[in-house]
Amino acid sequence: MDRPAAGASYQRFPRVKIRELKDDYAKFELRDTDASMANALRRVMIAEVPTVAIDLVEIEVNSSVLNDEFIAHRLGLIPLTSAAAMQMRFSRDCDACDGDGSCEYCSVEFNLSARATDSDQTLEVTSNDLRSADPKVCPVDQARAYQQALSSGDYDPNAGDQRQLAYCIFVADLRGILIVKLRRGQELRLRAIARKGIGKDHAKWSPAATVTFMYEPDIRINEELMDTLTLDEKRSWVESSPTKVFELDPVTQQVTVIDAEAYTYDEEVIKAAEAMGKPGLVEINAKEDSFIFTVETTGAIAAYELIMNAITVLRQKLDAVRLQDDDGDLGELGAHLGGP
Amino acid sequence: MNAPDRYERFVVPEGTKNDNHSCRVSYERDTKIVNAASFTIEREDHTIGNIVRMQLHRDPNVLFAGYKLPHPLQYKIIVRIHTTSQSSPTQAYTQAVNDLDKELEYLKQAFEVCF
Repeated sequence: MDRPAAGASYQRFPRVKIRELKDDYAKFELRDTDASMANALRRVMIAEVPTVAIDLVEIEVNSSVLNDEFIAHRLGLIPLTSAAAMQMRFSRDCDACDGDGSCEYCSVEFNLSARATDSDQTLEVTSNDLRSADPKVCPVDQARAYQQALSSGDYDPNAGDQRQLAYCIFVADLRGILIVKLRRGQELRLRAIARKGIGKDHAKWSPAATVTFMYEPDIRINEELMDTLTLDEKRSWVESSPTKVFELDPVTQQVTVIDAEAYTYDEEVIKAAEAMGKPGLVEINAKEDSFIFTVETTGAIAAYELIMNAITVLRQKLDAVRLQDDDGDLGELGAHLGGP
Repeated sequence: MNAPDRYERFVVPEGTKNDNHSCRVSYERDTKIVNAASFTIEREDHTIGNIVRMQLHRDPNVLFAGYKLPHPLQYKIIVRIHTTSQSSPTQAYTQAVNDLDKELEYLKQAFEVCF
């Protein structure tokens, strides 16, 4: 909270520590910043980081039991790998295409063609049946299944044996997201166009499954008051917490904090202490500038990419709300046109 | 029937072509109080409003800083700033936005180092 002497800048200097990082999950600590920044990052991750999703569906043949718009809605909700989304243009901003919003810079075309052959088995049309014009943008399940088949060693891409690929996928139970089931004689043929969008427009474009943050708790046990409790009282107090925050060591008979972050800010232990006649037994405060984020994505974007894109998008938004100089700053205008 | 289109939440209405930001941020000086102004920012919400407001609070020259959404179906925010005579509302606002940008740059580098 110290201010520089020149009075020129009141910036904060946040610190980050990544605890866990997987492909679609990240847990990290964010310190020395304000709750408004943490919340802004959360809001941007959910609603304003762009991804690609199916937006326009042209159906040629549909004799399934679901009607056209039902299937179109389901197609829109399929997550597509959107690593290229930040570089793409929004269809409304694209001047390269004829105005129908479907050129190579702003959209990706998909095709789906499925017909239940004359057999007694139900054909399940899944996201694996969607054929993409651009291999970089495909359903997340398809990408995952392909990766799995490659790494399992059973499938050799050079041999190009589609049946072997299908077998690997079936064995690993990565059959993809079910779109519709077809009976003998039913057919589904369509052409879909995927566009860039943000979660604010429609939830299908949201790359985040859940993004949460909690204040880091600061738990202090009053040792003097704790010593006045009997062993049974200590045990019942430790158990009054719905989550395992405290632990009673049977040997030393001391109550210690074993997992401060399991505390969910329910005040059960405080109420239990008061009920026992020992108010102030424990003091729990939330540290105002220390947050623990949990980020989980749908697979459209990697968790790390989501966080970095969120920071980039938030900076772009701040740039858009600057005050303009009155003499028409052409330099800034040029930067705006040249940017992504 | 009266609900606005979904894209209205973030697509700025057509402004003049040679000044891209002309309709995004506008401000009105307060006639009755010296060094006070209200900034109207189109097509923004709590995401920007709250962080700008909290950043303004860190400036000792700012006497009052607050934001509101006049109506949840009108997609704009109004940020009201009063400053001492040492500074002006436009200066405080520009300073706050610049500091936030620097903070995000710092945060981005902090993440990149972690990885």
